[in-house]
Amino acid sequence: MIMVTGGAYQGKLDFVCRHFGLESSDIANGSTCDFEEAFSAKCIKSYHRFIARLIAHGVDCVQFTERLCAENKDAIIILDEIGCGIIPVEKAERKRREITGKCGCIIAKNSDDVIRVTCGLPVYIKGGNQ
Amino acid sequence: MITLVTGGTKCGKSGYAEKLIDRLSCPKYYIATINPVGDYAQEVIAKRMKMHTQKKYVTIECPRDIAYADIPIGSAVIVEEIGRLCANEMFVDGRILRTVDKIVSGLELIGAKASELVIVANDISRDGISYSPELMEYIKEMGEISRRITAFADNVIECVYSVPVALKGSALLD
Repeated sequence: MIMVTGGAYQGKLDFVCRHFGLESSDIANGSTCDFEEAFSAKCIKSYHRFIARLIAHGVDCVQFTERLCAENKDAIIILDEIGCGIIPVEKAERKRREITGKCGCIIAKNSDDVIRVTCGLPVYIKGGNQ
Repeated sequence: MITLVTGGTKCGKSGYAEKLIDRLSCPKYYIATINPVGDYAQEVIAKRMKMHTQKKYVTIECPRDIAYADIPIGSAVIVEEIGRLCANEMFVDGRILRTVDKIVSGLELIGAKASELVIVANDISRDGISYSPELMEYIKEMGEISRRITAFADNVIECVYSVPVALKGSALLD
C-alpha cells in the first residue's frame, strides 16, 4: 500500500498519475465512488471525503479502513492533511477530524511508502527514497 | 534531551511522546494542561488516566503556571499540551494576556530539572480560515511559542498521520 498526503491542491493526484503511470479510469473518487469500489480500486483519491461519507452513512470508519488495508494491499490512497487547524466548536466536525486522523494513521502504518506532496514536490516521509 | 512534538489532530503526537519516555527507567511525570471543564475535556482526561495507570506516570494537573510544577531533578517529563496551556493563560476573565515569555520560561525551567522533556504542541496554523481577531491572536501566540521552543529544543518532530518527520535534530523512533 502507498499513501500520498499533503494539503489541498498541492499536486498529489498529478504526482500519483505521473509517478505511478495511472490513468483516470484507475482512480476511484472518494467524493462519489461506491464504498465497495474501495476494495478493488488501484487508487482512491480524496479518502478524507470518503471518510466523511462513511460517517454520514453510520459506517465504522476505523473498521472499514482496516478492512481496506487488508483486502486492497496494493492500493494507492490519497488523502488530505486536514488536522492542522483550530479545533472546531461543533462536535460532529471535531469527530470527523479525529476519525480522519485515526484512519490516516492506520493507512500510514500499513503503507510501505508515505509521500507528502507540498507545492507539487513529493517528499518520502516513510520508505521509498527517504 | 528536549523534544518538541507537533502536528495536527489525532496524528500520533501523544503516542510518540509516550514512546520516547517509556524507554527510560527514571520517574515519569505527566504535566496535564487541559482545563477539566466540559464533555470534551472529560473524554480526553478519561483516556489519559487509563494510559497513566498502565504506565505508572505521576500526573500533575497544571492548566496554568507550569513553572510551579513540582518536578524532581532527573525525571522524565511530558508536557501536554501547549495549545491548551496557551489558551488557559491567554484568555482570563474576559481579558487577553500575553503568554509567550511565561510559558517559554516555565518550559525552560522544567527542561533544566528534567533529564528528558517532551513537549507536545498542536499545529493549529494551517487551516487557512480567518477567525475572529482574538482567535487570530491565539494562533499568532502559538506560532511564537513554537518558534521559541524550537530554539532551545534538541529535536523537533512533526507527526504526519503517525509518521515522525524530523524538522530539527532526529526522530529517535521509527
